Amino acid sequence: MTVQETISGTVPAARFGIGGPVGSGKTALVERLIPALTARGVDLAVITNDLVTIEDAERLRRSGLIDPDRVSAVEAGACPHTIIREDPTLNIEAADALERRFPGVELILLESGGDNLASTFSLDLTDFWIFVIDVSGGDDIPRKRGPGVLKSDVLVINKTDLAPHVGVDLARMEAEARAVRGGRPVLMTDCRHGEGIDALVELIETQVLFRK
Amino acid sequence: MLRVHGILGRADDPEVHAALHRLEHRDGIEYLFVPAHEAGRKRFRLTTDRGTDCAVSIDRDQALFDGAVLAMDDSRAIVARFGEQAVWRLIPRDTEAALQLGWHAGNLHWRGRFDGEVLEVLLDGDVDTYRARIANLIDQGLVRDA
Repeated sequence: MTVQETISGTVPAARFGIGGPVGSGKTALVERLIPALTARGVDLAVITNDLVTIEDAERLRRSGLIDPDRVSAVEAGACPHTIIREDPTLNIEAADALERRFPGVELILLESGGDNLASTFSLDLTDFWIFVIDVSGGDDIPRKRGPGVLKSDVLVINKTDLAPHVGVDLARMEAEARAVRGGRPVLMTDCRHGEGIDALVELIETQVLFRK
Repeated sequence: MLRVHGILGRADDPEVHAALHRLEHRDGIEYLFVPAHEAGRKRFRLTTDRGTDCAVSIDRDQALFDGAVLAMDDSRAIVARFGEQAVWRLIPRDTEAALQLGWHAGNLHWRGRFDGEVLEVLLDGDVDTYRARIANLIDQGLVRDA
């Protein structure tokens, strides 16, 4: 067997986690990622996690951005981190089911329910995960060094457009985020206006889908 | 980029070991050093010690291990090597302290294992970050480094 021939059979879809506090813009980010990835020919599906509803899944199904059948909903019924870290079985089952229903799917986006700064994903569930915070949550969030901020593969600081309206020094917030993460990626986004999305998609294509 | 999927074998398997030995004579072994705390990944991108950019994935029911052979042909092989796992060894003063230490370690989701009366915490980051979480137990003399 040669080095170049080591890929055989079906390669599992990459699983990409999106975590972060309530209201930080996780669903809005998914709504930006879907068309951006689709435009690049990525075959994708989405799993949303909510506490006791399927609100986010319904929002995406109604969006017209994606085949509604490609959106699955998981209800945590408890703290959201319990089903993305402690026992991610429900989400693993949901992802497996999507792969069975849509053979050839390349990427599954798993959006966590809104949680606190200690929220992290199990590597049994996701191959790569990002943590989304936003400027209106306060510019002190990065320096509080929560595990989500520190351990995520990429930290996304969203709603940059709101910085002047909520008294946030965006440059300092970004600098502190980069400092606490020791050089690991930090991306700035404004999902409302689509700013910064291309950089994240580029990173997904390179580090997750291995297209480049 | 070299794209590989799956694990071909174990470096210590006699048959594989013989093949690797032959390649070794041709300077054909490349090592992919995977940080211990990243070893649970099923999909990752890293560069070998010879500079080959590797995009690696394994099946969901597979687990990467130290010595996993990820690619092999007549001229070279790529073998995964784990960095040494950093461990913080802690010993509680007594039963009460052990209960408190165990409670904190669980609550903080620390990865751990036991070695007799010692709790070994498998570190994913700087030890001082961990130490700060149980500073009160250490300051009270309930827990000390083993």
